[in-house]
Amino acid sequence: MNRRDFIRGVAATGLALRIGPRAFPATSATTGLSAAPLPASPTVLAAVEGESPAAITREAITLLGGMGQFVAKGDRVVIKPNIGWDRTPEMAACTNPDVVRALVELVLEAGAKKAVVIDNTTNQAKRCYVRSGIQDAVKQAGGDMLFVDDYRVKRMALKGEWLKEWEIVQDIVEADKIINVPIAKHHSLCRLTLGMKNWLGATGGARNQFHQSLDKTMVDLAAFFKPQLTVLDAYRILVRNGPQGGRISDTELKKMVIAGRDPVAVDAMGASLFPVAPNELPYLGLARERGLGEFDLGKVRLEKRKI
Amino acid sequence: MASQAAFFGLFLYLFLGARYTGQDYIGSTVQRFFHFDPLLALVTIVSARLVYAYFAFALITVAATVLFGRIFCGWVCPLGAVHQASSFVFKRTKFLKPPREDKASLAPKYYILVAVLVGALVGLDLAGYLDPLSFLTRSFALAVLPSLAHALSNLTGALYALGLTGPARAISQTLENWTIHTTFLQGFSVGLLFLGAIALNARKERFWCRYLCPTGALLGLLSRWNLLKLRIDDEKCIKCGLCTQHCETQANPYPRDKWKSGECIYCEKCASICPTAAIGFDLSARPEKLTNVSNVNLSRRKLLLTTVAGLVAVPFFRLTPSHKRASLKLIRPPGALAEPKFLAKCVKCGQCMRACPTGGLQPVLTEAGPEGIYTPMLVPKVGYCEYYCSLCTQVCPTGAIKKLTIEDKNKLKIGTAWVNKSRCIPYVLGKPCIVCEEHCPVSPKAIKLVEVEAQLPDGTVAIQKAPVIDIELCTGCGICENKCPVMDDPAIFVTSVGETRSETNRLLLDISSGAPSDPYK
Repeated sequence: MNRRDFIRGVAATGLALRIGPRAFPATSATTGLSAAPLPASPTVLAAVEGESPAAITREAITLLGGMGQFVAKGDRVVIKPNIGWDRTPEMAACTNPDVVRALVELVLEAGAKKAVVIDNTTNQAKRCYVRSGIQDAVKQAGGDMLFVDDYRVKRMALKGEWLKEWEIVQDIVEADKIINVPIAKHHSLCRLTLGMKNWLGATGGARNQFHQSLDKTMVDLAAFFKPQLTVLDAYRILVRNGPQGGRISDTELKKMVIAGRDPVAVDAMGASLFPVAPNELPYLGLARERGLGEFDLGKVRLEKRKI
Repeated sequence: MASQAAFFGLFLYLFLGARYTGQDYIGSTVQRFFHFDPLLALVTIVSARLVYAYFAFALITVAATVLFGRIFCGWVCPLGAVHQASSFVFKRTKFLKPPREDKASLAPKYYILVAVLVGALVGLDLAGYLDPLSFLTRSFALAVLPSLAHALSNLTGALYALGLTGPARAISQTLENWTIHTTFLQGFSVGLLFLGAIALNARKERFWCRYLCPTGALLGLLSRWNLLKLRIDDEKCIKCGLCTQHCETQANPYPRDKWKSGECIYCEKCASICPTAAIGFDLSARPEKLTNVSNVNLSRRKLLLTTVAGLVAVPFFRLTPSHKRASLKLIRPPGALAEPKFLAKCVKCGQCMRACPTGGLQPVLTEAGPEGIYTPMLVPKVGYCEYYCSLCTQVCPTGAIKKLTIEDKNKLKIGTAWVNKSRCIPYVLGKPCIVCEEHCPVSPKAIKLVEVEAQLPDGTVAIQKAPVIDIELCTGCGICENKCPVMDDPAIFVTSVGETRSETNRLLLDISSGAPSDPYK
């Protein structure tokens, strides 16, 4: 990627979000005109801002054409939030429970047979499930919460460029459809943990070794899991002490949900909230090379709403 | 029987309740049983020289025993229920054939009691090893439940293999939900002792209760004046001797004048086995002759000898250098009292280890000296101290671990983390890692990242972010050690130094912030 591409990307992001003038005064002032979203682009990305996490989630899915676009009747759908940490929602370490709740409801409304929510947590599983608020939200919405079972973690061929095989949570890969529901957070190694990084929670084994080549791992995993839909929770984002924070002052309210079929575009859009330019995240470049999606938001058809 | 089953059920229910239930504060669980135990009350209060208010409940047991004899042993004690049930099985399967008359001495438990009490006087808490509640809780927590979980877990594997996903999932989800998936370093020895105690019932019915239990001995001594008296209807009695043969605790109901009120646990086996229904129990204020209380020959000479033996034994239990310098791996649970008081109060029941959601609290074998065997310590490689959890402090029956709110717990240090720079991936291999840093739960993090140069074997230099510890912020929770990708000997590890509870196991002098004075000017 050259410098011009970068500036275009940043400017497009800034314009799209209408935070450009504040976040990137120099670039948007000089190149703002050249970066209008391309209407013919095949990718659709929805970014909805609003007070209610559930309402903006529903609106984002509506903008993408409704859950029927992603889920068929009778499907067994796995929804994979980030429930990695024993933290309450206001710490912004785990996906917002209301976003997960709305997705479970939408999936079931679309006729799915089952909506299973699962994550291989970092802290003790039950504490994470309970204190993130996700267990209650999912149960109320009629979905199923599942703890990762050792007997259901199996070594599989990933055929990645770096990861050839790894232990994978079977309950996730056996689903008819997968929906990725990450939260946008700071991370001291890959800078930001967004959608693609969330797949670490679908693996088992000695996954702490991934960090030796985290960018490549994330891309290999993203290529392997191929979610139908990625819904990035950016209602409250974690801006420091990631990926688990610990104080409310580590978080910022953005009140946004970003959804799309293209996992790379969703992550690029999420990065703009911090603000981090897509080319500062090597995994986005690697993912584009692998054909997983587009991080140049100028080439993405973006639907934005504020409700 | 019904009463025993009910209390055993209650015990089991409370025992299983000592876990993360979804509530941060779980209220009273099985420790309440311990509060009714006069031996534990006496020994922990005497040995630690600290009164623990919850032990007021033990006065109820004392009063009940004074009034009605050892009904605690026969009707309440959950370990007694285990022994009775296993004795029953051994009898039914003919492994155990009680003799017509048993002349074995019942004295050992009294000597054990004397030794335990003598130990308490000099500050040694031995009650926990043979106290029935401690013994049972420890056995269940560290051996029985983990074995059961292991078996169930293997069963789920088999069920999955058979394609029975539904039942397999139900089992695995329950194990996770009830936190029954941890294993313990000393589970093997604790389990063997438990099986041994049960196996002894094949030799004598309720072997433990007859010969070993110091709590039973204490209650026996208290029961001299009890009002519940054995009655044999002489007109009905056919002198068959079945009652004495099948008495669970060798209390010798027949002949009546040989009945030992201090041994009788009021199981009423004699009454139920009597072919002519000649036996019953009446209320009567007539005191028993002292010799009849247990009819054991507790000679003054032997008692003196036991006392001396107890006193001589004390130094053996103290044979450890850890009194001079703290043991580096002895990371006590948060809220644990300073080591001498902790050792004097801990009854080794294993309840804190049962409650620990990560399974990091493990029974000590060697780190705390002989008197510390089976006391708890955090083994971060196995499990870490969960930041928002204070369950271990909530379930301790004796206050050896002080009850703490989560906020208070997080102000404590249980140890300090150290980086082993000769094993740490960025320091040595020049590859990125930061796993310890991302897991550090305090904010701001106690593990900071700095850029370091690694000299690689090929002569090149790699620059990576590597961890350094801010010891002021580090609580010693051990998650860094637990998650470190260096599997065998983690490159970041916690030792006990800096623990809040100790005034000597310190790292840095707390030098006042004033300007340093120069003595040469």
